[in-house]
Amino acid sequence: MRFIDYIVTALRNIWRQKLRSLLTIFAVVIGATSVTIMLALVTGAKTFFRSQVEANGMLQQVAVSQKSDIKDFNDASHSGGNCDSCTKLTDAIITKIKTVPHVVEVARQMRVGAFEAVSFSGKKYTLEQVYATDANGVIHNNILAGHDLQPSDKEGVAVFTSDYADKFGFKGNYNGLIGKQISLQSRSFYSGVGAVVKQPVPCNGPCDNKLQQPPTVLTATIVGIMDTSTTSTAVRVPVDWAIGMNQERHYEFTKADQIAQEAACKNARGACNSTQHMSLITTNFVDTNGYDQLVVKADNAKNAKQVAADIKKFNVGAADAESMINSQLAIFNVVGLVLGGIGGIALAVAAIGVVNTMVMAILERTREIGVMRAVGARRSTVSRLFTFEASLLGFWGGVFGVGVGYGLTRIANVFINKQLASQSVQAHDIITLPIWLILTVIAVTTMIGMLAGLYPAHRAAKLDPVEALHYE
Amino acid sequence: METKTPAIELKHVTKTYKLGGETLNALDNVSLVAQAGEFIAITGPSGSGKSTLANIIGGLDKPTSGDVIVDGQDLSHVRDRALSDYRNHHIGFVFQSFNLQGSNTALENVIMPLVFAKMRGKQRKARALECLQAVGLGDRVNHKPSQLSGGQRQRVAIARALAVKPSIIIADEPTGNLDSARGAEIMKLLQDLNHQGITLLIITHDQTIARLAHRMVSIHDGKLVEHRG
Repeated sequence: MRFIDYIVTALRNIWRQKLRSLLTIFAVVIGATSVTIMLALVTGAKTFFRSQVEANGMLQQVAVSQKSDIKDFNDASHSGGNCDSCTKLTDAIITKIKTVPHVVEVARQMRVGAFEAVSFSGKKYTLEQVYATDANGVIHNNILAGHDLQPSDKEGVAVFTSDYADKFGFKGNYNGLIGKQISLQSRSFYSGVGAVVKQPVPCNGPCDNKLQQPPTVLTATIVGIMDTSTTSTAVRVPVDWAIGMNQERHYEFTKADQIAQEAACKNARGACNSTQHMSLITTNFVDTNGYDQLVVKADNAKNAKQVAADIKKFNVGAADAESMINSQLAIFNVVGLVLGGIGGIALAVAAIGVVNTMVMAILERTREIGVMRAVGARRSTVSRLFTFEASLLGFWGGVFGVGVGYGLTRIANVFINKQLASQSVQAHDIITLPIWLILTVIAVTTMIGMLAGLYPAHRAAKLDPVEALHYE
Repeated sequence: METKTPAIELKHVTKTYKLGGETLNALDNVSLVAQAGEFIAITGPSGSGKSTLANIIGGLDKPTSGDVIVDGQDLSHVRDRALSDYRNHHIGFVFQSFNLQGSNTALENVIMPLVFAKMRGKQRKARALECLQAVGLGDRVNHKPSQLSGGQRQRVAIARALAVKPSIIIADEPTGNLDSARGAEIMKLLQDLNHQGITLLIITHDQTIARLAHRMVSIHDGKLVEHRG
């Protein structure tokens, strides 16, 4: 029997039992649709995630940390504190890193923890995070309105994430926010740039001359709005401004002040009650603790791993984004396996349906099998014919299942697109149905049909032709 | 002097079945020779072993012992593949209950053995039409069995048996489900085929039909007890 005859005969036999075949195919459709949608979701999520990462240039980036034992890219940030295995990230280290082959640029990164609120149009909003990164092209932010920070920006400007813009009442009109002034309100201990540091009242002997500072308000002009999906809720300011914000300033009666006062008293007539002179002491957080993190840009994503390895030789931690991305993608794989497994159960049930249908078909067609054998069908021919029939049930189930799955993913994309648009995320149709997935699902359901048909086919082939011819 | 190879040669063929603990001899040391083009009627009471004999000659069954040589081919020890090919190329079966596929047309029923013979589409359609015309059903090719009379159904079955140009036709009670007029027509058709050189083996209870044969073989309790020309 020729291959095409197997197909034609199997299709005709399926068509002969329309209702039963349709019900069996329907069961496969349910399984195939579940698997298709679940895998499409996971595949779409992975593709979306990767595209976002690529758009941010993360694949070219290497995160450098004070901690030498960082696990991955996301583990790099460290803001001082006790750490045995830490190396301060200083300008000297940056100079060294710039000599590493394939390094294009280095961006400094630091957080400012002294601000707690932002005021706009008379309303006060909680401030989640203020941070700074060099605007030197290493870190790309998805700017929805205005522009990102420029290398020439020193202070008084900020880029906000879109969720702030939404809170400020500029949802859908981010451009309207550009150029507007906002106020950053510090916590009470703030003594950095812009703070009016008061000199304490002179005292004799030991006393606390670090007075509580009243909250300081810094004004910034909004120059850009960032996509929230690419970064967490935050306000980004120029690094130079952040360094100033992270200063700690206070008045102190220094040794020099003491010498000066003693000299003044020596020359004074009578009791020496001159007002104590105190010096304003400024401590740069960066000088004492270094930068929180550095982000190094390699010339090519392929070189990022090597760059990380070379930077580690400076006794700092370094990790490229690939391992982080892979670990994130591994989570998607696990989710995919779990969801696929649920669809797999539906397919397993469908497979039992195929077995049942085929066994019934054999019982009904026993005499026909006898005739086929009498006119020259080999055992293998009968076996293949029934296997083809079962495979075709799986095949059509897969085809219709993928079709239904495609329709449902299109509908789901419409809703997801709306949701993403409402969050100002520039992405659409993230649930994708790649051709490999379509072919895989059809191949798998066909295979399941085939496997489910093996036992009935074996039974059919084993039938004794003489007994089959006399079967009532 | 020309020595003709027999079309069918059975040598000491025995076929036993085990039913529960008992052994039943369906055929007991049967030997038979049939020349090519011969018309043999196999008669005997029900359960005597005549269908078993026909099945063994037709390659549907294998003997427990003894040799079965058909068209020079020993069937006793061949595997399923060779036996199936033998049935496809050498044997045409005609059954009492026609055994047509109800969902298929007359043409599709006749095409069936040609599909197993791997004949291509156009050729096999042409051959099936030729066979249906030969049995007088050229105008019924697209009719389904349910749309045909008993006699016509048996003609379709004969056309199916003829499709692969067999050297032997084995007909098991071919007129058993037909009235005498239709039965006579079918027998006339089979006799015509025999006259064209096809060896014809008919299993029948009907002595009238048996008498039409060149030779009548009678089986009782698995033994070939009568053997006359």
